[in-house]
Amino acid sequence: MEDQRQADPGPVQGMPEPGPDRAMSHPLALETRGLSKRFGEIQANDGIDLELRAREIHAILGENGAGKSVLAKTLYGVSVPDEGTILRDGREVVIDSPAKGRALGIGLVFQDFRLIPALSVLENVLLSLPTHGMRLRRRAVTAQIGDAAERYGLKIRPRARIRDLSMGERQQVEILKLLLSGARVMILDEPTSLLAPQEVDALGRVLRELRNEGLALALITHKLVDVRTMCDRVTVLRGGVVQVRGLDPAGLDDAKLVEAVVGRHLPQLRTRPRQPPPDDTPALEAVAIDVEAERGRLALTGVGLTVARGEIVGVAGVSGSGQRELADVALGLRRIRAGRLSILGRDVSDGRPAKVLAAGAAGVSEDPLATDVVRGLTVTEHMALSRLELRKRALGYDWHALERQVDELPEASILKIADGARQVSTLSGGNVQRVMLCRAFARDPGFLVAAYPTRGLDLANVMAAQELLIRHARAGAGVLLMSEDLDELFLLSDRIVVLHAGRVVASVDPDLTERHDVGSLMLGLAA
Amino acid sequence: MSSVRTGLPVPLRPTAKRWTRHPALARALGWGVFVVVAITILFPTFDVSLQDCLIRATPFVFCGLAVAVPARAGLVNIGGEGQFAFAMVVVTAAVLLVGDTLGAAVLIPLLVVAGLFGGMLWSGIAALLRVTVKLNEALCTLLLNFVAPLVLAYFVFGPWRDRSSFNLPVSKVFPDAARLPTYGVTQLHLGIVFAIAAAIAVWVVLDLTRWGFRARVVGGNPEAARRAGLPVNRIAFAALVAGGALAGLGGMVEVTGVEGVLRPNIGVGFGYIGFLASWLVGHRPLDLLGSSFLLGSISVAGDSLQINAGLPSTSVYVLMAVVLLLVLSIRGVATRGTS
Repeated sequence: MEDQRQADPGPVQGMPEPGPDRAMSHPLALETRGLSKRFGEIQANDGIDLELRAREIHAILGENGAGKSVLAKTLYGVSVPDEGTILRDGREVVIDSPAKGRALGIGLVFQDFRLIPALSVLENVLLSLPTHGMRLRRRAVTAQIGDAAERYGLKIRPRARIRDLSMGERQQVEILKLLLSGARVMILDEPTSLLAPQEVDALGRVLRELRNEGLALALITHKLVDVRTMCDRVTVLRGGVVQVRGLDPAGLDDAKLVEAVVGRHLPQLRTRPRQPPPDDTPALEAVAIDVEAERGRLALTGVGLTVARGEIVGVAGVSGSGQRELADVALGLRRIRAGRLSILGRDVSDGRPAKVLAAGAAGVSEDPLATDVVRGLTVTEHMALSRLELRKRALGYDWHALERQVDELPEASILKIADGARQVSTLSGGNVQRVMLCRAFARDPGFLVAAYPTRGLDLANVMAAQELLIRHARAGAGVLLMSEDLDELFLLSDRIVVLHAGRVVASVDPDLTERHDVGSLMLGLAA
Repeated sequence: MSSVRTGLPVPLRPTAKRWTRHPALARALGWGVFVVVAITILFPTFDVSLQDCLIRATPFVFCGLAVAVPARAGLVNIGGEGQFAFAMVVVTAAVLLVGDTLGAAVLIPLLVVAGLFGGMLWSGIAALLRVTVKLNEALCTLLLNFVAPLVLAYFVFGPWRDRSSFNLPVSKVFPDAARLPTYGVTQLHLGIVFAIAAAIAVWVVLDLTRWGFRARVVGGNPEAARRAGLPVNRIAFAALVAGGALAGLGGMVEVTGVEGVLRPNIGVGFGYIGFLASWLVGHRPLDLLGSSFLLGSISVAGDSLQINAGLPSTSVYVLMAVVLLLVLSIRGVATRGTS
């Protein structure tokens, strides 16, 4: 299996051939000259020159920490640059607040959206528009939403509640909000990160419509495939410095782009053949389990799933299909209502985390900041909350012994985890994730629940984490892998099960299956 | 060197720094300076006696500890007031039952146990409701504050009213064996030593023991504690009950060390001042000794303000509130600077 991130994205339908001539012929919508921004010791942006033209989709590519988001926030007015100038339609402007940015027709679609789930689409749109006295212009805005939706091919129902919408639909609402407030320059921050493949295609169509209407679009991403499928030009950032300046991606091969992103050639992920498991006891065996979510709704219905030792089973599904509940029961964090569940040969139907940990399971959770990071505790102390051996000493624990243990973990140095005395709550997201990964890998778990294990990591650490997952699996761990990135699932999994609405709808071999077929299954369509 | 199972090489990593540092020393120094300044300059100026301050500060320490222990496990105990009062009822019951028959050597430890037990019982109600039906402990302890004084009033107005008291609602005066010994001719009683010992014991338990670490995890993020397999409910229950016990000990010390008789209105407001004292120092038990002394001094100074300057007695509360707001806003500004 080759590294899927660098694979050919396949044919794209209905997209006119982008070319440098075509793109360069349009007027400059937004331009930056020598834009620099410093946070403490980190030079987040260093002399950035960017040209964003009308009628183009311009990729800003780079790994985490390359300065993409800072650049986006500067263009939108959330942060003010230390040096450099911004030109809008050729005139020098100062954008010192988002309000100013919006007034200049610049809009930003945040990665995690800024919508109020309890309100309807219409109400969210109304909130984003300037107010005219006390009156909510429901009818007028409903009509506007209808017009815009038709014009740009957005599938939007004004009366639907945000919380009932998929991630793709929410994103379209965000785009619509910007359109109605008059944005002509639209910056999208990692727009594909939460979407299913079909939704990504839909996004691509919408963006092309917007481009053809004359908007200037900047698409911030760390995925090569986004650049290949959607963008006319690409600017690559690394360490806050422009590496590739507004070139046509068609003229650059994958190796070139990756090198520009990470600064060196990355080794291909070596996959090893599966070896026979150390014993026949499955790491996870679920027989027809029902799991309740909040308010008595069933989050999982009749799920049967076996993860053998030494096997990586990927779980695909649009968000909210029951992945979270599956990860929870696999770590004993939820009771099951019906069925039978055993982990490493022990019955854990009653949902007792301590029992599951003692059986030899470990987990990386979906949102470590919410569920794993303890305010005020150091990295070493966090390590104690796992399967690491914690020796007693006098009335307390022998922290030095634990620290030595952590230091000797190979994962600690591979993932370069933060100093043991640092407080985890003060670390950045990527650093937290590395600590969590290191903790999960410690003492070679027999069963590993990896929920979004590479979330928030930069490319080099993504590779390291993936490598470690495979190595641990080959050494005999059963791995249950959740990921929002289908590429990652296809790359790592020996088998992929697809969840839709709380049921396992398919179990497929990633080597023999098309990505789009899995995508269809995820969306509840027949493959 | 390489990991046995995965065969990965183990590269060298520079040894991490020591995992603990001690800003505590700096704070202790700060409190020391304050105490010296208070005794040498402020007390003579405002005509305040050190002895009164120490005696007044003692219940604040206990009520503060009653807040600090649950706070470590992420719980808010506003019920020091009620736990303090209910413990006095239990202690008085013990005195009335066996006070005349036992010597001090047996009776005082017995009354200590009675005080601890009374406080535990009162906070136990909130703790039980917390872990069984998830009733918010702050609300529950607060509401119980209104109940405990009524229980106390029932006994002193009813069955325990002393016939020789000219119809005042007070119990019989405690026998000498039921009074905490005092030092020499002063009124400084053994309870002050209890308070200091309790603060040190709480510090040891919270900062040095395994239980303290687990409580810290539960307080910092209960979900993380659950995921680590810790018995979250059991730890929360224990922390709240232990807090009640400490407030109860405070009630015992007050009624046997200062009053020697049970009457309504003993220690009214002490629970809330203890709450304030604990928040002032971020629930650190040793620093609590300092903040209690500070609030004790203000409280005593209030008496002389009233007499000498003609200010209303409630001006003390204004002064305390100003101190708290000042400290909290300084802390807010300081943390904003670092983040």
